[in-house]
Amino acid sequence: MVHNFSRRHVLKAASMAGAATALPGFLANQAKAQAATLNVFSPLPPDPAPPGAAKFSEEAFAKWQADNGATVSYEMLAWPQLHDRMATAFASGAAPWDITYNCGWVPEFQSFLTPYADNLPKALVDDLPPTSFATTTIDGKRYGAVFTLSLLTLFYNKEQLEQAGFKEPPKSWDELKACAKELTKDGRFGFVLNYGDPAGIGGTASYWMVFLQQAGGKMYGEDGLPVFKSDEGVAALQMMVDLMPSTDPGSISYAGINDATNVLLAGRAGMMMNWPFMWNAGSDPKQSQIVGKLASAVLPAGPKGSASIDGTDAWTITKASKNQEKAQKLIEFYLDAEVQKRQVLDTGWLPIRLSVLADPEVQAKAPNAAVVLEQAKHPYDSFVTADYNQVTVAVGTEVQKALQGNKTAAQAIADASEAVTAIVKRRG
Amino acid sequence: MSFARLQHGGPLRQTFIGLGLALFVLWSAAPVLWLVLSSLLEQKALIAQPPDLSFANFTFENFSTVIGAAAALGRGIVNSLIVALFSTALALALGAPAAYALARLSVPRADAISFLILATQMLPGIAIAIPLFIVISRLGLIDNVLSLGIVYLSFNLPIVIWILRGFFLGIPAGIEKAAAIDGAGTFATFWHIVLPISLPPLSAAAVFAFVEAWNEFFFALILTRQQAQTVPLVIANFAGQYQTVFGQMMAAAVISVAPVILLAVLFRNQIIRGFADGMMKG
Amino acid sequence: MFFVAPALLVLLAILFYPIVDSILLALQRVQLAGGEVLQEWVGLGNFQRLFGDAVFWKAALNTAYFSFMEVALVTLISLGVALLLNHPLGRSGLYRILLIVPWAIAPVANAVLWKWILNANYGVLNGLLKSMGLIDNYQVWLGTPFSALNFLLIVDVWKSVPFVALLMLAGLQRVPQSLYRAAYMDGAGPWQSFLNVTLPTMRGVIAIAVVLQTIWSLRVFDLVFVLTRGGPADATVLLNFLAYRVTFNFLDLGYGSAIANIIFALTFLLAALYVWLLWPREPRGAR
Repeated sequence: MVHNFSRRHVLKAASMAGAATALPGFLANQAKAQAATLNVFSPLPPDPAPPGAAKFSEEAFAKWQADNGATVSYEMLAWPQLHDRMATAFASGAAPWDITYNCGWVPEFQSFLTPYADNLPKALVDDLPPTSFATTTIDGKRYGAVFTLSLLTLFYNKEQLEQAGFKEPPKSWDELKACAKELTKDGRFGFVLNYGDPAGIGGTASYWMVFLQQAGGKMYGEDGLPVFKSDEGVAALQMMVDLMPSTDPGSISYAGINDATNVLLAGRAGMMMNWPFMWNAGSDPKQSQIVGKLASAVLPAGPKGSASIDGTDAWTITKASKNQEKAQKLIEFYLDAEVQKRQVLDTGWLPIRLSVLADPEVQAKAPNAAVVLEQAKHPYDSFVTADYNQVTVAVGTEVQKALQGNKTAAQAIADASEAVTAIVKRRG
Repeated sequence: MSFARLQHGGPLRQTFIGLGLALFVLWSAAPVLWLVLSSLLEQKALIAQPPDLSFANFTFENFSTVIGAAAALGRGIVNSLIVALFSTALALALGAPAAYALARLSVPRADAISFLILATQMLPGIAIAIPLFIVISRLGLIDNVLSLGIVYLSFNLPIVIWILRGFFLGIPAGIEKAAAIDGAGTFATFWHIVLPISLPPLSAAAVFAFVEAWNEFFFALILTRQQAQTVPLVIANFAGQYQTVFGQMMAAAVISVAPVILLAVLFRNQIIRGFADGMMKG
Repeated sequence: MFFVAPALLVLLAILFYPIVDSILLALQRVQLAGGEVLQEWVGLGNFQRLFGDAVFWKAALNTAYFSFMEVALVTLISLGVALLLNHPLGRSGLYRILLIVPWAIAPVANAVLWKWILNANYGVLNGLLKSMGLIDNYQVWLGTPFSALNFLLIVDVWKSVPFVALLMLAGLQRVPQSLYRAAYMDGAGPWQSFLNVTLPTMRGVIAIAVVLQTIWSLRVFDLVFVLTRGGPADATVLLNFLAYRVTFNFLDLGYGSAIANIIFALTFLLAALYVWLLWPREPRGAR
């Protein structure tokens, strides 16, 4: 939405006037710098959104705009439609934005983006987890900066676990299966997840990739062709299939994470994998019936240990932007320590900066931050490629068939591998 | 058996008809009723199993949140209004003369042209979406309610022509002859004589075009950004979030469909009669 | 002549270029690279790929089933409803209001409403059926391929019946009373007069209804997009949705255009077929 607060204009005018009179010559020139408009494409809150779009750090934001002689205008869209809007815009060569949100689509849109992240200040980069650029780096160049630490972790209902005799959350695949089984009774289920949409990060295929990594497998080999048609790939899928008797049968129809979240928050399921944002939702009495009973833990380990996937919510700059430097400065503002702190305290989205994560105030408000940090010590590859959408649809559909008992895990993996090979080969 | 008895049927048949009507009412009204009820219930009432309909749970909170939180809904309604009115007006202005010509004036191969016009309805929107987007963005008309209204002509115009042509085909030929005797030219005949008697199908076509434009989702998704967002997009935004407060979603839906339903109900007689006359001769 | 010209020009402008461009796109392989859209001619390559694509055939099958069932159900139910409303008992204005309302609801709003009604955990359908003792547990209505596709069908039928019923009603009301009287004179009972008077006279209306409903059933999009997104396991992927997915999710513009053009051709052929088969052959009214 375009926020045309007159307050902001007044502030800007006032600061410009003040700067012009109070400062010596060259600084005054700075303040009267060309006023530029930056267009930012972002998700709608409560999905991760920047200051001005979401309600936090508004004063700092106003000040930044004034100091940098820029007006920032937001175009916000519901998360499921972001990709399509960007795709259409880029395809027709008329993308009007300077900065866009990206989530696993960086390889896909690579040719429209600038590898600005190589130029970020060292102090900032050092404060970020080293692997946070993994999903936005292509051919050695960094195209985006992740702004929130978002990994899948285990969320569970403490009370239900205790009642079933479990003092601790499950730490291994076997424990997960046993625990889920024990929790499935009285119309409740041990596990719930959204298997309804095969595509994208947070889709069915991506959940399987979690288990794939926990089994020690990976998606692609050196040549870019799929290598998941292996014991690890099948074991991962088999694990999900084995969990199905204890999984809410509605899972196969839940297209969005919120459907699954609602089930857990209503007390009708005991465990699920979810993003850090769930902590806020779970603590809100208006949405959650299990306030105070929600807890979070590292995902149970498979044969090769625990693993997760990266939500990879990142900011990217478009190649077509006329304000490359200003855009980069805006992103640096979004990553500013104070702004990051307000981000988690006010909206619940974890910061990405290590220093802010270690801040006691932050840790108090978001106890799951420690869990996410712990999870980050294990692999969390999202296997993002230029064909990510197409690949996840192909793989996710096969996974769905196996989950419904229409195919064996081995058959599904074999078919998925065939489909992905065709996709990769087509790209050439 | 008297003729009247044949028409009305005996008590057995009447019972069946009564049951049938009751079933029809249930089938049609129940979902809409639930739409309205849900919009007035609190979240915790809605996520109870079964939904808790006790009086205490009813609230206007959903409506106030939806209206207050999103300036988007208000703007969406204004945009939808402009787009729909504009598109309808254009469709009528262009379509009525065309339909008249195809029906009454000797246009060569009129049947083929009419069928071709209907054929344009068969194109899935997706096929023309990207080329349209390219053209419109090159013209700098993206996110513009008027250009959206013109794009909507792509489906409104054919339908208007189809409806009106059907009606015009049914007008007795004598009318033009009488007008010609009085010295009226083609346009005068059309304007002063044919149009006034076409009010029912005209209003039917108008309401139809308006409703279609108001409800359209796909092109609005592609061709608008922020300024020209229409109501269906706002609804879709509600349904796409991380968390869903079902009551709010339903409240937004109610607000979005209410104007159109009102319109349709008010004009139902014209619509029904317009179709009766218009579609028969199609 | 100039009466027709403006309308035709507008349609040509808005539709002609995109249609031609989409046909051209279908003959190309389109890729996004280097900030540009790269296009290369592959002739019928996209179509060849289509015919070997299992997902395409699944979508085609789904669409065939969906369309056929929808047209059949809508025609039958609408006829039934129209007959009910044509009876003296059904003359009340309330019924007509009920016919208009579902038609006026936006497809997106309709999809959102039904998604809510069919919700596996909180949906009112589950709540009602369980309270009435008809089911033991809450069902996941959109959970299995068979169930999801059929519920998609039911929802679209619910939305489509009213308009078609209106058409049929209009047609019924135009059947001359004199014909009924004549049949009565010949000793015809209610069923016979229906078969021999009503149906034949309604032939044109039924034909129109079938044609329109076929066209509309092939364009169903909002419903799939909101209700199931094509799932579970591609069970509710209709051709239209597949074209969208391929174009916008995979950015395979050439392939998507090929699918879209196939839908276009199919619809065109079907409609032409119907018109030719079902159109009553009678002399045209005087011009």
